[in-house]
Formats: sequence, C-alpha cells, structure tokens
Amino acid sequence: MKRLACAVFLAGHLLAQVTYDRLLNAEKEPGSWLTYSGRYEGWRYSPLAQVTRENVKNLKVKWVHQMPTTHLVETTPLVADGVMYVTEPPSNVAALDAATGKLFWRYRRQYPPKINVCCGQVNRGVALLGDRVFVGTVDAHLVSLDAKTGDVLWDVEVANYQHGYSVTVAPLAVKDMIIVGIAGGEYGIRGFLDAYDAKTGKRRWRFWTIPGPGEKGNETWSGDSWKTGGGSTWVTGSYDVAQNLIIWGVGNPSPDWNGDKRLGDNLYSDSAIAVDADTGQLKWHFQFVPHDLHDWDAVQVPILVDDEFQGTRRKLVYWAHRNAFYYALDRTSGKFLLGKPFATQTWAKGLDPNGRPIRLPNIDPSPEGTYVWPGVQGATNWYSPSYNPLTRNFYVSAWENRSVYRKGDQEYTPGNRFIGSVPLIELPDEPGHGAIRALNPRTGERLWEYKLHTKPWAGVLTTAGKLLFGGSDEGYYFALDAETGKELWRLHTGGVIRSNGISYTANGKQIMAVAAGSAIFTFELP
Amino acid sequence: MGSMAILLAALPIVAQEPVRNPHTTPADIEQGAKTFRSHCAACHGFAGTGGRGPNLTTGVFYRGGSDADLLRNISDGIEGTEMPALFYSPDRVWQVIAYLRSIGSGAGKVAGNAAQGQKVYASNGCAKCHRVSAEGGRLGPDLTSIGRYRAAGHLKQAIVAPNEDVRQRYWFVSARKGSQALAGFLMNEDTYTVQFMDMNENLRSESKSDLKEYKVEKVSKMPAFKLKDSDLDDLVAYLASLKGGSR
Repeated sequence: MKRLACAVFLAGHLLAQVTYDRLLNAEKEPGSWLTYSGRYEGWRYSPLAQVTRENVKNLKVKWVHQMPTTHLVETTPLVADGVMYVTEPPSNVAALDAATGKLFWRYRRQYPPKINVCCGQVNRGVALLGDRVFVGTVDAHLVSLDAKTGDVLWDVEVANYQHGYSVTVAPLAVKDMIIVGIAGGEYGIRGFLDAYDAKTGKRRWRFWTIPGPGEKGNETWSGDSWKTGGGSTWVTGSYDVAQNLIIWGVGNPSPDWNGDKRLGDNLYSDSAIAVDADTGQLKWHFQFVPHDLHDWDAVQVPILVDDEFQGTRRKLVYWAHRNAFYYALDRTSGKFLLGKPFATQTWAKGLDPNGRPIRLPNIDPSPEGTYVWPGVQGATNWYSPSYNPLTRNFYVSAWENRSVYRKGDQEYTPGNRFIGSVPLIELPDEPGHGAIRALNPRTGERLWEYKLHTKPWAGVLTTAGKLLFGGSDEGYYFALDAETGKELWRLHTGGVIRSNGISYTANGKQIMAVAAGSAIFTFELP
Repeated sequence: MGSMAILLAALPIVAQEPVRNPHTTPADIEQGAKTFRSHCAACHGFAGTGGRGPNLTTGVFYRGGSDADLLRNISDGIEGTEMPALFYSPDRVWQVIAYLRSIGSGAGKVAGNAAQGQKVYASNGCAKCHRVSAEGGRLGPDLTSIGRYRAAGHLKQAIVAPNEDVRQRYWFVSARKGSQALAGFLMNEDTYTVQFMDMNENLRSESKSDLKEYKVEKVSKMPAFKLKDSDLDDLVAYLASLKGGSR
C-alpha cells in the first residue's frame, strides 16, 4: 500500500514536470500546448479534431480572463497539466486553471521608471521546462519562476535595458536550456541569441547576430557600424531536433532607414540563422534582405517540414518574409530553393538563383520620401504562420499596404532611438487591407485568400479538424475552412487581437484560446 | 517637519528664478530639429504639426508650457499617456525645446478680425454642419476648440480646399438597403459591418451583407468656399480664436 501510494505520488509528480521528452513529443499530447508554436517545428498546428468544419458554428465562449494591464497583449498561452500560463504585459505572468480561467498565482515584476521599447511594452509568452516557468522582461532580464507558486527562482540580466535592450520574445526550452532573443533594433543594439542553463540561470552561450572584428561577416559592416548594427531576435524560433539546430530569425540593421554609415550586406541582419543547440555555433544562414533600408526584419516563425520538393525528399524551411516574398530553403544548408511574392511588392524585380533580391531603382528612403510596397510593417510581421500536415498547406496573415520611406541624419546615443528619420508608416488616405492567405509551400502558389478590411496583427492556428483560426484588429476571432478559405464561424471579442491562438483540452473537451483586448478568451462546443 | 523646512527654504528660490532654456542658439535649434525628427516625429509629425500625438506648433502645451514643464515632460514622459521618457541628457532636451519654440512662435497670429469672422461663419451657413459650444450641426467636425489643434494655414486650406485633407471620420458612405438609399459619414468600418451618421444625424449600424452598391468615398462633402480674401482671413481668425472645451 505504501509502495503504491509512493508510486502514485511519483507518477503525479513526474506528470507535472514538463520534461524535455514531453517537448520532443508534443504532438503526442494534443491536450497541452507546451511551446510557443505548439511544437519545435513551428507549425502552430493542433492535432485535435473535436471541433470540425461541421460543428464549429456552435463554438461559444467558455471563460474569459481579464488582465490588469493597459498595454497591448501579444501573449501565446501555454497549457500543461491543467494549468494555463500567460504573460500579462509588460512582463508579468499569471497561472490559471485551464478549465475555468481562475487564477492560481501571479508574478508581478517591479519595473524601473524609464523603459524604452520601440513598439509597446509587450510580451509574447513564457517557456515551460521541468517545474519551472521562464519569462523575459522589458528591462531585459530572464526570470525563472516556480510553476506551482510563481516564486522567483532566479533573475538574470540578459542585457542593459538603459541601452535600448529589452526581451519581449517568448523563450524556447531546448534540452536543459532556455533560448532567448533580444529586442532593440530601433535603439542601435548589437543583437544576439542566448542560451541559459535552466537550473542556474548561467549563460551557456551567446551567438552575436552582428559579428565582431575577426569574425566572419564583420567585413559586411563599414567602419564601427557593427557596434550598433541592430540584428534583434525578438520572435521565437524553431528547433530541428535531428540536426540539433536552432533556427531563428534576425531583425533589421540599425539605423533602420539610413544605411550610409553601415555599408555592406550587414550580416546577419534580416537573416534566418541556424546555430548548434549545444554550442551556439553558426551552421548556416540565409539573408533575405542584404543591406536593408526598409525595416524588414526576418522575425517570422520558421516552419520546419520534411517533404517532397521538386521530386526529392528534403528537409525544408518555409518562410513568408516581411519583404513580401515567400521562401523555401533547404534546412541542411540554408540553400535557397524557391522564392515568390505572396503580397504586392514594388522593390525587387525578382530573386536571383541564390535568392538574393534584384532591386529595382529608386526604392531607397529619401529625404522627400519614397513610396514602396510593402510598407514598414511589411507584408507580414511577427505574428505566426501555420502549417497543416493534413492539407500540406502554408497559411499566413498578409498585408496589402505601402509606406513613405524617409531618410534623415542619425547619430547614436545610448538608449535612444537610432533609426535614421521617421517614415510615414500609415497613409491615412490609403490604409491598405489584410487577408489570410493559403499557399502551396512547395510552389509558392496562392490557393485561396480570405479578405479583411483591416490589416491583421494576429497569427493563424490550424487544426486536425481542417480549420484555420485567425483574428483581426477589428476584434473578430474567426474560423475558416483550411481547404477553401470559406468562413465558418466568427465572434466579436470587443478588443483588438494581436496575438496567436492555441488549442488544448480541459475535461476531455477541445478548447480554442486567444488573447483579445486585455483578456484571454476561450471557446468550446456546447 | 524637517522636510517642510527644506521645502520652505527652497520655494523662494524657485519663485525668483524660473528655469530658462540655456540652449537657444541657431545651432541648438538645428540640432534640436534633428533629434526631434529621429525621436518625436513618429507621433508628433515630421514638422511637429501632430498625428498620433498633439500638434506642437500652436504654442499651446496642455501639460504645461514653461521651459521647466517641457524639460520634465520630454525627459520623464507623461504618465498615463503614450508619451515615453527619453534617455537624452538635459542639454539635448533643451535643444529640442529650442526647436519647439522655433516652430511654435508666431503660430496663432492671424491677419483677420475674429469678431468679423464670426459673422462670416454665420452668413455662410457653417453652423448647418459644424458645432461651436454645443450650437450647430453634427455632420462636420466640432470646432469648439479647433484653434488649439490647428495652425492658421491648415484652417485656411480646410476652407478653400477641403478635399486636400479629409479625415477618415468624414469619408462619405453610400449604399442601398432594399429600396432605401443610405448616405452619411463614416464612423467605423470592419470586414462585415459599417457604422455611420446619416444626413439626418441618425447613428446607423449596418451589416454589409444587407447592403447593395456599398461605397466609401474619400472625399469631403464640405463645399470649397470661395470667399473674399478679407472674409477668409476673418473666418480663419475666428476659428483660430476658438479655444474652448475642457481639455
């Protein structure tokens, strides 16, 4: 009896641990949502199929969790063992009963008085590993919390927030490490990707996204411009388990709209990078926009798929980039395989055989302003795409818009904006519009689109029910048929949706969850 | 008690010597302009005439217009608003303030006579569509405090060439719903619905799927007024004098 009780206790205890093995096999427990994108391949796909194209019209609100915040909510909730972990901006964390939304605990951070982040004091979510929760903070720390109590276990400085560094990205747990990126591409930071020991908070490695003197790639920065070259890493990447590679997107070079003092390609800004998970050593890179002058970060979630590609079975990366081109890359080498516009663009004649853009004339920012499609916020941005293994399609929230790009003088002062003038991001007479688009990822061909009046800042989720869930700034959360794009359900949440949805189960029933306004909304069938 | 003594001791000094901007040379203004364009223009506009943030060229600063007020608000940000703090040294902030003074000076000085302008306003029927202090129509913008927000040049343009700058709120909506013709001014629109004020000032909310020939035109329904120069100056002077409201 004693032994049995002990075994039950142990099993319960072990079950409440988010082990690395569970992260590796996330697709085998579809009732949880254990990492930012749901699985290491970055698919944002739920294998749950209780909600179908036939019954989705009956989805009703299950519970709502209102956050005590005035900041934009961009969080992706994680769910493990009946508990939902969400960040509440700036960088607080709440643990909720995933079945009812009731609060177990809340971590409230104390913030310094001056925090400069380019685009809001936001946070995109936590990482889970063992019995711990990990959160990055706007004052550029990484914090480890006890998953049961929210108590702080360690709190380490990632970088100096007074020099424009911040952490808004959801960290990624890999093996016994926490991988975390940095934001600050509008403040002249020198970007990096870090790995920390999950137990101690000690840094294991740092990959500088802007190479220093003597390192390969430093020659792509004129003068000392590498010191303030940007290259942020503010959106969670993916992990190729078989190759032990962390594949991550790198942000814009600094200053954004004036490249006169950073002549060269500016590696590894606007690139996909693949680094060894144990050492942080670079295995390959692919730069989408050499010497970027338009703020077109490569901050999209890499989607890793093994599939037939032009007659050969390949390890692939699918990537719809902010610059309006969709790319397929070989994941063993970073080799360019395919590139095709998925939205209107007026800056490149096309891509050469290596994937390097062939630029059109008169597209650079100018003192008087230059009109270019896509606009500063891109044809897509940080919000997640999705890959559905049943349809084998790639799904993306897309923008049709242009901006006026201006160029101005810029000198670097620590902690302040370092951007090189200010573009007209939004053209009041020409607000543009948005769409959800389905692509055949093996050809880049558009299969369907669902038009939106406004430009969505929300990612997409697809499910084994062959449904796509997406949101809009208008406040609607909607479900489309993933095969046709036909709208099957929508609900007005009353707040902007600037986040990515997930799906999980509570009491055996499939639940859809998404952050909208200052709240987490959940939906289930009656 | 101790802190009270310090406070009392400090007060007369503050009263006698208000903080003055020590950086007001043309070179300071030029440097301030550069700083402004790289840091402030995103919200306040390239020329400081406003956008997401208020117009800074009117000479009116809602959170205090003294040099000390501006130094504080620019350096520390304004709590409860989107105005962030800066990490610039006070010297750099003083240069921004010098630039702000340079674009704000002279604003609000207009040639016309405001009292005459009020008559021009009345005789041209402006009140059919515009409201001043709760009197007048609602189809066009409320002008009660327009003098705080708009420079004289912008006001003049809005009268003679209203199509030059039509805010989205005043885009023109038209459609048919069954046999009914609908028209009015856009208030809100999303993928599936539209909200607008119709020509009788009724608030309407329609589902786009119920509408035919639905159209939103980015034009102003305000006539382009062809006034005598003196009447135009007077009208601008009147509008520039409207600084009411509780903000």
